[in-house]
Amino acid sequence: MRNSGTHPRWCWTLLLLAVSMSVSAQDDLPPVTRTYAITHVNIIQAPGRKIDMGTVVLKDGIITAVGKAVAIPPEAIVIKADSMYVYAGFIDGLSRTGVARPKEEANRERPKDPGNPTPERAGITPHADVRYSLNPADKSIEDLRQAGFAIAHVVPYGGMLPGSGALILLSGKSADQLIIQTKSALYSELTGASGVYPNTVIGVMAKWRDLYRQAAQGKSYESLYASNRTGLERPATDRNLEAFYPVIDQKIPVLFKAEKLLDVQRVLMLKNELKFPLTLAEVKEGWHAIPKIKASGAKVFLSLDLPEEMKKEEKKDDKKKEERPRTAAETEKEQLEKRRAEAITNYTAQAAAFHKAGVPFGFSMLNAKPKDVHANLRRMIAAGLSEDAALAALTTSPAQLLGIADRAGTVDPGKMANLVISDKPFFSEKAKIRYVFVDGTLTKLEIKETKKADPNAKVEIEGTWNTTTQSPQGTSTGKLVFKKEGSGYTGTASSSMSPDSFPLKDITLEGNALSFKYTMSFGSRSIDVEISVTVEGDSFKGNTSVGSFGSFPVEGTKNPK
Amino acid sequence: MKKIIFLICLLGALRGQAQERGTVLIKGGTVLTVTKGTLENTDVLIKDGKISQIAKGIAAPAGVRVIDATGLFVMPGIIDAHSHIALDAINEGTNAITPEVHVADAINPFEVDIYRALAGGCTISHAMHGSANSIGGQCQTIKHRYGVFDGEQLIMQGAARTIKFALGENPTGHGRRDGVQPQTRMGVEFVIRQAFSEGKEYMEAWDKYNKAKLAKGFRGAPPAYSLRLETLADILKGNIIIHCHSYRADEINMLMNVCRDFGIKRLVFQHTNEGFKVAPELAKFGAMASVFADWWAYKLEVYYSTAYNAAILAKNGVVTSINSDSPDLIRHLYHEAGKTQKYGNLSDDEALAMITINAAKQLGIENRVGSLEVGKDGDVAIFKGHPLSVYGIPHVTLVDGIVRFERDKDPADMRLMVDPKETIDIPTIHKATTHNHENCMQNMEWLLNVKMFGLNR
Repeated sequence: MRNSGTHPRWCWTLLLLAVSMSVSAQDDLPPVTRTYAITHVNIIQAPGRKIDMGTVVLKDGIITAVGKAVAIPPEAIVIKADSMYVYAGFIDGLSRTGVARPKEEANRERPKDPGNPTPERAGITPHADVRYSLNPADKSIEDLRQAGFAIAHVVPYGGMLPGSGALILLSGKSADQLIIQTKSALYSELTGASGVYPNTVIGVMAKWRDLYRQAAQGKSYESLYASNRTGLERPATDRNLEAFYPVIDQKIPVLFKAEKLLDVQRVLMLKNELKFPLTLAEVKEGWHAIPKIKASGAKVFLSLDLPEEMKKEEKKDDKKKEERPRTAAETEKEQLEKRRAEAITNYTAQAAAFHKAGVPFGFSMLNAKPKDVHANLRRMIAAGLSEDAALAALTTSPAQLLGIADRAGTVDPGKMANLVISDKPFFSEKAKIRYVFVDGTLTKLEIKETKKADPNAKVEIEGTWNTTTQSPQGTSTGKLVFKKEGSGYTGTASSSMSPDSFPLKDITLEGNALSFKYTMSFGSRSIDVEISVTVEGDSFKGNTSVGSFGSFPVEGTKNPK
Repeated sequence: MKKIIFLICLLGALRGQAQERGTVLIKGGTVLTVTKGTLENTDVLIKDGKISQIAKGIAAPAGVRVIDATGLFVMPGIIDAHSHIALDAINEGTNAITPEVHVADAINPFEVDIYRALAGGCTISHAMHGSANSIGGQCQTIKHRYGVFDGEQLIMQGAARTIKFALGENPTGHGRRDGVQPQTRMGVEFVIRQAFSEGKEYMEAWDKYNKAKLAKGFRGAPPAYSLRLETLADILKGNIIIHCHSYRADEINMLMNVCRDFGIKRLVFQHTNEGFKVAPELAKFGAMASVFADWWAYKLEVYYSTAYNAAILAKNGVVTSINSDSPDLIRHLYHEAGKTQKYGNLSDDEALAMITINAAKQLGIENRVGSLEVGKDGDVAIFKGHPLSVYGIPHVTLVDGIVRFERDKDPADMRLMVDPKETIDIPTIHKATTHNHENCMQNMEWLLNVKMFGLNR
């Protein structure tokens, strides 16, 4: 019997990781004071507005004073940020930070009549509200905060119309404490429902028009009824159609995920037909659509995710090639590689292109990993984006686009105490974030000493290793087998969660720093796992990042031969 | 030097603005107008995308590119009345009746198949919904303006609205899999009749409401809006041409009867392999037929077929076209048209009409394209060798007066968008790709899997 269509239980175990994080990690004692003074710090109040060696005072979650000659309140905790740099906390335009993944759908089987599924099965739940699936202890909140973000625009999981989003703070002990604004936008994707109507992009677009026009009709009949109820048929209530009403009233935008150029164009087609206010988010490939976006008046959040840079081939290979004439296949490959490199450049230069065209934009973190933010911003800057424009896209622009410029986006008295402090100018290569304030709550970032990587250490990894991975759900065990082959290694990974074993890729061992990847696959889906550890003798310690589920500590010990 | 400048111009045109219209003089060719005979040593002037003059010895306006067509054949751009290229989604096959969906929402202007079609002289195709369900989605007539980055710019503005219907094994297979209607040919007729009846009721309800609304002091609820019923009503009103996937004569008769009952007149049968059996009936109804030259026997309902089909239909007065339904055949529809001379002795004009003016009639665009006439769009294919000869080779293809393909300057890499994540494996690129026979069922692979799974069990 085959069951390639269903997911093994361990997969859902992973999905549940995020849901069940405990809150115990948080310090339960209330702080002694909520007043802080950050002294001798270079203050970048906003792009182009800088105070050298000044002081910022925060009190009860509000910035109370910014400047050179600022009195430090006696109760303040003083942070001597000598020659550090302080910026407004960054704002993410779209992600699922802190949003618990839904439990395994009870009914993923094809229903009896796939042409008429329930709205839930069809991915149509616009009435859902992300506030009810927020988990303040979710590790994604801490991860994004440590990348310098203070505010995120988060949306529920789901299909074509998952529900309404919320603006949240990346610090808080309860879901309600996180919230700045609920029902900030109606979130949508051009995502079809699996195996049922609407299954394809043409189905989704048609259903979108249908729902929107039904909602417009329902809304206008409702107001007719409200004006005089006598003699009129009672309008039926419909939670899904009613979710469109604030959009029809132009009170909130539709927040549409549109990664690819064709997604952007399709969403703009809907917007231009139905005339709803639109925010495009997680745009990765939008440079050709800039004039169209501009003309439509849609707001834009560009993805902070970038395609990987191409690995430069080793010089040795080049020399070898030049010794003999190139084959047609080599020349062709070279030309194809060149076009691929151009394509990667286009993605990297997207932000610069939007800036040049005068389209204000923020960034979104739906697909980007927090640990890549700094490097990706630097790549965008290298591709022509000015540092001021990059900072604007992290702070002032998203504050404007999300309608919270009165509270967030700059380091000015009266604003929310959302700050990020780095030891060097933030966009410089070696800059490290040292402190993040969210709503006046301090997170101090430990600079991890890099003692682990000893490039001269000699270790032997060949053999079988037993591993344990700590996740909020509990501990899972696994087995790794490394085999020496030539100058490198091959290997396989297996674990208590899956009956299969998977081949290891990109195994690199430099000194005692070991890293490798593998892809766990099940049916048509797969999860990429990246592990990097430091080996000491017959044991290792490090981290494993599991797809988009986050990163967890991992330890291993080698079996004696 | 000239070559380089031209290449730059060509690239400029390919990467350039939307709805660009070109001005060009095609000089000294043998002009196959299709509708107005063949003109030797004649010039065709295209001005701002429209044919402005067809005559001998036209002087080139200043600064206009002149294409020397001496010894070449100049014909209207080929029109494919049945294709699925340039689409990201083909089948919303989850329900028997989905007229509300529209493939215009899934146009993908980056598909290199568009350029390959141009390389076969084909300038327009009818991008169709698939045949997984009885009433599928609306189709879109597209112009092969390869080089634009916006799918909307491929849309041929002003083309008639069309919709895909499907009879026989494909929609009944869908029904049997899901345990819903239709599971038989009778069921197909029923679901179509039921849909038309619902569309009619909807139309009447709205007419009644709109009329009542005019009365002073009217208060009442409108009928519930439905894009599906709205589209069905548009079919009944004659605003949308039905293009129906069909093979067998009995089901072709059935749909004509259904349409007669509902007063629907605009009807084109696609594939129509047994059309030769009911050619007089088709002609009497005024239905048209779009067929393969000689492609059949890929499933049971397509065994009773003949290569004389197109000629028999044409000689019986049915407006007949030959289509590709394939990104491969679309590159040599002129060969397919040529087969009607081997099987049926059609004249050059009759054979060429199969891939030009007749296809245009079926798509409701015959006033704009399909022949070389003054005032029509500057969609032109220039051949070395007669297009109906096996030695015919497309040389230059123009859309709206813009050169979109030129054989002498055919770049090696014509991709418009490159996937930054692609892995490049030359041997794989060069390996012949297997050709997928019935494109109509694209996106429905899961259906096939389910079937196979069922058999294995």
